[in-house]
Amino acid sequence: MSAAEPRTADGTGPGGDGEARVSQDAARVAGVVKVSFPVAGMTCAACVSRVQRSLAETPGVLDAAVNLATNLATVELERGAVRPGDLVAAIRDAGYDVGTESAQVAVEGLRFAGDVAPLEAAIAAVPGVLAASANRATDTLRVTYVPGLVMMPRLERAVAEAGFTVAAPIAEADPVERERLAREREVRRLAARGAVAAVVAILAMVGSMPLMGVGGTGTADLLVRLVMPLHHALAHAMPWLYEVPAPQLKIGLFVLTLPVVLWAGAQFYVAAWRGFRHRSADMNTLIGVGTGAAMLYSTAATFAPGAFEGAGLPADVYYEAVSTIVALILIGRLLEARAKGRTSAAIGRLLGLRARTARVYRDGVEVEVPAAEVQVGDFISVRPGEKVPVDGVVRSGHSAVDEAMLTGEATPVAKKEGDEVTGATLNTTGAFVFEATRVGRDTVLAQIVRLVEDAQGSRAPVQRLADRIAGVFVPVVVSVAILAFVLWFDFGPQPAAVFATVSFVTVLIIACPCALGLATPTAIMVGTGRGAERGVLIKGGEALEAASRLDVILLDKTGTVTEGKPRVTDLLAPRGPSASAAATPEERAEILAVAAAVERQSEHPLAAAIVREAAALGLEPRDADDFEALEGRGATALLGAHRVAVGSAAFLIQLGVDIGPFTDAVDALAARARTPVLVAVDGAPLGLLGLADPIKAGSVGAVRTLRRMGLEVVLVTGDVRKVAIAVAGETGIDGVESGMLPAGKVQVIRRLQEAGKRVAMVGDGINDAPALAAADVGIAIGTGTDVAVEAADITLLAGDLRAAVTAVELARATMRTIRQNLFWALAYNVVGIPIAAGALYPFAGVLLSPVFASAAMAFSSVAVVTNSLRLRRFAPTFAT
Amino acid sequence: MHIAQFVVTVAGFAAIGWVLWYFLVPAGRGAPPRPPRDGA
Repeated sequence: MSAAEPRTADGTGPGGDGEARVSQDAARVAGVVKVSFPVAGMTCAACVSRVQRSLAETPGVLDAAVNLATNLATVELERGAVRPGDLVAAIRDAGYDVGTESAQVAVEGLRFAGDVAPLEAAIAAVPGVLAASANRATDTLRVTYVPGLVMMPRLERAVAEAGFTVAAPIAEADPVERERLAREREVRRLAARGAVAAVVAILAMVGSMPLMGVGGTGTADLLVRLVMPLHHALAHAMPWLYEVPAPQLKIGLFVLTLPVVLWAGAQFYVAAWRGFRHRSADMNTLIGVGTGAAMLYSTAATFAPGAFEGAGLPADVYYEAVSTIVALILIGRLLEARAKGRTSAAIGRLLGLRARTARVYRDGVEVEVPAAEVQVGDFISVRPGEKVPVDGVVRSGHSAVDEAMLTGEATPVAKKEGDEVTGATLNTTGAFVFEATRVGRDTVLAQIVRLVEDAQGSRAPVQRLADRIAGVFVPVVVSVAILAFVLWFDFGPQPAAVFATVSFVTVLIIACPCALGLATPTAIMVGTGRGAERGVLIKGGEALEAASRLDVILLDKTGTVTEGKPRVTDLLAPRGPSASAAATPEERAEILAVAAAVERQSEHPLAAAIVREAAALGLEPRDADDFEALEGRGATALLGAHRVAVGSAAFLIQLGVDIGPFTDAVDALAARARTPVLVAVDGAPLGLLGLADPIKAGSVGAVRTLRRMGLEVVLVTGDVRKVAIAVAGETGIDGVESGMLPAGKVQVIRRLQEAGKRVAMVGDGINDAPALAAADVGIAIGTGTDVAVEAADITLLAGDLRAAVTAVELARATMRTIRQNLFWALAYNVVGIPIAAGALYPFAGVLLSPVFASAAMAFSSVAVVTNSLRLRRFAPTFAT
Repeated sequence: MHIAQFVVTVAGFAAIGWVLWYFLVPAGRGAPPRPPRDGA
C-alpha cells in the first residue's frame, strides 16, 4: 500500500522519542518508550512470529509483541535509540506493511507556489510520516502517517517550524473508530470477492459435472461420490450441457475461473510471493501454492491435453476446486473478520458510556457544550437521569449515582457535597452541581479504556507454544505435501499423478495455522473485555494466566475483608455497681453526645467513629473546653461544669474511675474483637462503647467461594492477633498472619512462594503496594476511582471481595478457553493433514477432496474465534 | 514409469530439503542474503 508513496520516513528526523505514544507503564521505567502501531497483511500465527522477530531484531528494540486479533504491534524501545523509520523498515522487511492513516490539515499562509515543496519536505521529515502533499488551492496539507508513531502536536510543530500556521488543531482519529472503519473496509472487500468467487464456484461446479462423468478421478474422491445423484439430476435437467465437447467445456471453465484467480484470490498469491521473497511462509503460501498447483495442472490439461495423454495421464481439470477453495477461504476470512470485530467490542461499549454533552456554567449561565470541551475547574450541573460527563467533586446538591457501569455494583451510591463523582456514571433521582477535576484522557473511564487496550494487546505465556509451532508450521506442511505427492506417485493406484496432485493440494489447503494464531489473543481480548464490564481490570495475558493457577490467596484485613472504617457496634449502660446492659435509646443518646463532645477534638480513627455515630443519630454537637488527649489511651475535657473522660479501661482506672459495672463487659467485648471505649462523667462511669471494623457484606460469601474453588485463604493484617482471629473466624478464613508490617507481608508471600505455592495478594493499592508487587498476582481492591494501581496485576473497581472471586473465575474461564482453542487448533491439524495426505485410503478407500479441505480449514479458524466469543456470556458466581 | 518415479522421488526429497532450508535456517548461516529493503 504505502510502499509506493513518494516520501518515506526512513532515515529522516532526529529520533522517535517525542513522537511515540508513551504508555503509563513504560513511563515508569526511565528511558523506555512503548509504541503501538497497526500492521497490515497479517493472516496467521506464522505472520505474527515473523513480524515479531523482525521487530525484535531491530537495534534498540527491547521487546515486541504483535496481536493478530487487533493487527497491532506493540514495541518497547530504548528512548531515542530507534527511529520510526527503522520500525517501518523492519515490518516491510518481514514482508508486511504498516497500517497508515491520513489526515487533512488546514494550513494558513500557503500563498506562493514555492511554499509547497518546503512544507511538504518539512512534514515528510517528521519521523513516522510516510507522505505529505500540500494543496495551495484548498490551503490544505494531506499527511499519510503511521498512527502510534506520530503524535499530532509534533505535526503541528513541524508546520509551525516551516513557517506556516495550522488553522485548527489536528484531530487524531479515535483508535477504536479507526479500527472499526478498517474492519468494515476489510469486511466489504472480502464480501465482494467472496461473492464473486462463490458465484463462479457454483457455475464451475455445474460446468464440471459432465467432465466428471467422462473419466474422472474415480470413486475415491468423497466429493465425487456425494455429487453423483446431482450429476444424474443435472444430466436430466440440462442435457445440452452434456453435448458440449469436453475441450470446449474446459476452455469455458478456464475463462470462468480466471477472475477468481486474478482478482478475488489475488491477495493470496501476492502475499505468498511477498513472503517467499523474504524467506517467510504463511497461510497465504499454503493457499497460494495449493490453488496455484491445481490451476496450473488444469490449465496445462486444458491447452496441452496431448502431452498428458502421451504420458498416459488423464487430462483432468480442477477449476471448480480452485474457485470453491478461494470462495470458501474468503468467506471464512469474512466470518473471522466479523467475529474478531466482536472480540474488541468491549472497548467500544466502554467508550459508548461517555456522556455526549455537559451542562457547564460559563459566566454564571448554564450552557450545554460537548463533553470533550469541559475543562478542569468547570462547574457542571447534572439533572436526574443524566450522565455525569467527567470526573469531579460535588459542590452543591445531593443525589444517588448508579456506578454499575464502572464497578459492577448495582446499588446507587449516595453523593453529597464533597463526594467524588465519576464520568459516565448515571445520576438517578437528585440534581447536583460538581466541579470537574479530571477531563479527557485523565478520567477514570479513559484510564480503564487504556488499561483494557493494553491488556488486549498483551500476550499470555501459553502463547509461546503456539508461536514455536507456527514458526515451523508452514515449511513442515509444504514438506508433508511434497512427501504425499511422492508417495502417491510411487505407490498409489493409477492414475497415480492425479492422486498425487489431489493429495498435494489437499494437504496444503487443509493445514491451518490461523487457528493457532487466533487461539490465545481472541480469548484474552474477550476475557479482559468481559472483566472490564464487571469492574475487574486485568493488566494482561500474563496476569490472567497467573490468576488461573493460584494456590493461596492472601487477604488484607482492613479495607479488604472489613470496611476499613470502625463503627460503634455495642453500647452499654451501667445497671448497679457490678453489672451492665445494652443502653436504652435515651441512654444511648446521652452517652454518645457526651463522648462525641470530647472526641470531636481528637484525631483518632475510633474518635471519628464515635462522632460519626452521634451525627448519625442526629445529636446536636456540644462544645467542650480544656481538651487533653493522651496518645493511644484516651482524652478528657470539660463539658460545662463536668469533667468528662473517654478512653480505655486502663486510662479510666488511672484517672480513679470505678469501672466496676463494666469489668466483665470489657473482657467480653475484647474477646469478640471489639475495642472497648469507656465514658465517665465526674469520675462516675456513664457508658461503655464497643467499636469494631465491621466485616463487609460480601466477604463471608467470597471467602467461602474461594475455598470451594480450592484456594487456601489466609488473612494478613497489621492488627493484633485477637482481632485477626476473630475476623478470620467470622469469615471462615483458614489461616491468620497478624501483626504484619508491609515488609512482613512481603516475607509471608516469599515464604509461601519458596514452598512452591502460587500466591495472590488482595489489598488496597497504597499500603499493600510492596506485597501486591511481590505476589504472583497482585489484586488491588479499589474504591471505584483508583484505576491505575501500578503494583497491581488486577484492579477491582468495586471495593468488594466478591469481585476477587469474579477475577479468579474469569481468569480460569479464559485460560480454559485458550486451552480448548489450542487443543482444537493442534488436533485439527494433526488429524486433518494425514487424512488429506491419504492416510485413510489404504483402509477405507477414502481420499479427501481439496474442496472439503478448504471448508474444514475455513471452519477451523471460525470455530476458534467463536469459542472465544463464548466468554462474552461468562457469568460470575456473584453478579454484583 | 520407473524412471518417472525415480525422478519424482529424487526431485521431491530435494524439494523438501530445500523448503526446510530456505524457510527454517536463519539468514546468515549459509543462507542467501536477505533481499534489499524495498519501499522504505
